[in-house]
Amino acid sequence: MIAPDGLVLGIETSCDETAVSIVRAGREILSNVIASQDELHAPYGGVVPEIAARAHVERLPLVIDRALTDASISLRDISGVAATRGPGLIGALLVGYAAGKAMAASLDLPFSGVHHIEGHIFASVLEENGVAPPFLALIVSGGHTSLFAVGELGSYEVLGETLDDAAGEAFDKIARFLDLGYPGGPAIDKLSKLGAADAIDFPRAMVNKGLDFSFSGLKTAVVRYVREAEAKGVNLRKADVAASFQEAIVDVQVIKALRAAQERDLRTIVIGGGVAANSRLRAKLAAEAEAAGVRLVVPDRKLCVDNGAMIAAAGHFRMSRAELTPLDASADPALQLSAD
Amino acid sequence: MLVLGIETSTRFASVAICSENEVVASYELGRGRSQDEILMPAATRMLADAELTWSQLGGVAVGLGPGLFTGLRVGVATAKTLAQSLNIQIAGLSSLDVLAYSVRYGGRTICTCSDARRKEVFWAFYHPVPGGVQRITEFRCAPAEHCVNEIEARGGSMLVVGNGPHLYAREFERVARDVDVAGVSDCTPRAVPLAELAVARLLREDSDRLLDVKPLYIRKTDADMNWEKIKT
Repeated sequence: MIAPDGLVLGIETSCDETAVSIVRAGREILSNVIASQDELHAPYGGVVPEIAARAHVERLPLVIDRALTDASISLRDISGVAATRGPGLIGALLVGYAAGKAMAASLDLPFSGVHHIEGHIFASVLEENGVAPPFLALIVSGGHTSLFAVGELGSYEVLGETLDDAAGEAFDKIARFLDLGYPGGPAIDKLSKLGAADAIDFPRAMVNKGLDFSFSGLKTAVVRYVREAEAKGVNLRKADVAASFQEAIVDVQVIKALRAAQERDLRTIVIGGGVAANSRLRAKLAAEAEAAGVRLVVPDRKLCVDNGAMIAAAGHFRMSRAELTPLDASADPALQLSAD
Repeated sequence: MLVLGIETSTRFASVAICSENEVVASYELGRGRSQDEILMPAATRMLADAELTWSQLGGVAVGLGPGLFTGLRVGVATAKTLAQSLNIQIAGLSSLDVLAYSVRYGGRTICTCSDARRKEVFWAFYHPVPGGVQRITEFRCAPAEHCVNEIEARGGSMLVVGNGPHLYAREFERVARDVDVAGVSDCTPRAVPLAELAVARLLREDSDRLLDVKPLYIRKTDADMNWEKIKT
């Protein structure tokens, strides 16, 4: 068990951010340190798992130190430890998860191995966002594109998910194809501001069918469009391609999120995950939600990307219900988010 | 001084507590559950059974390999966080150096040779010196027959230790008669000699900075190797 106002140290290393945060009472962020590895992976145009794991081992102690310093506390003030247990890249996950267990055991503190997606959902519980269920959660990142009905915290019903690429993956692949650099999401977001979103009518796959997503067709369409234009010698505006691609991918998410909320009669939508930092998704979803009379909760960008605060918040919730993770539980790269 | 040793550079996981004059506790596992699952429960259990608390530890030691990356990182991340949480000294030692140290009494040259996966082994050569061993080569990583070639080229009486010769028995068949291969009970790096060596180092405050403690990978990442291929 953990005191309601206890401090939890949250560790997140499931992909390419080394992140540690201190959160009080499951919602007040005292520090939130994110050491990005973008510069290490940029030459390869995507996350290299072995490089990510190596960097976590080197950087984690410094990031922990910094999180404590920023929060003006010492390890003695902590009342619980949380670390991402899965899903994610196994080599990367294991670093933060092993560290979390070591810290908890040696300081005789409760430990929670957190589901990464539950963490993203908890980003909207933090700080002034303070959202309470029931709500619809749209979690979009490099590894996930999912819609959840959240009847109460701790209980997540999957309404839809991607059948192929995650939205973030599509952003990265198209960015690489257009030679825009890495990470792809921010690059496309930035370039799109200079282009016309209606220049090219890219397909919105499965937009009228169910709540699942598919982005591989869109990706192929963009590649085909660019190749054909080049073959014909047409002067191609990359900004138009980026903006039109982004509009298509955003449209599908906005339409499905609003339809899911309507079908389930949920009056609040929360978004999370790295793609939730996309400015067009934030703007369009805000506009459409307002038109539909649905409240939209958009966490700060620093809480949308992978971070330790969301892990600390979810961990605090689990530990406050006396749901502790035993020290012999392994990290799980394919951890399931249970519906109970 | 009580030192907790953590050695996870091979599939054989091992945790031990040593002081200046005794082995306090030891736990070893060669198959079954993963290092991630058994490491902290084993350490916690050993401390409890020895009627010790975490705050009585004066240092932590970790085997840095070279060895299998995932296990190494679990051990190194665990050791670093323990040192940081308990505010105690840390010493990182090469797992192969520790392996050679535990068979130092024969007076012969020692070759440590350990599995590197992908049909390769890590190896190095040592001379016994008073009180220990001295590594006389860099760590290498290549197919087992390269290690055998080097053993033959050096010639003379030698002891080969590690799981390499056992995994690549066929390659090692052709080593000369005065080259012995240590049996399985001496072929894996262990936390007991690791902690023993670390006690001596930490007593003279020869500890490592947390930042400097990282696995000895020796082998580059695939991405780096491919990258070099593209560049050249």
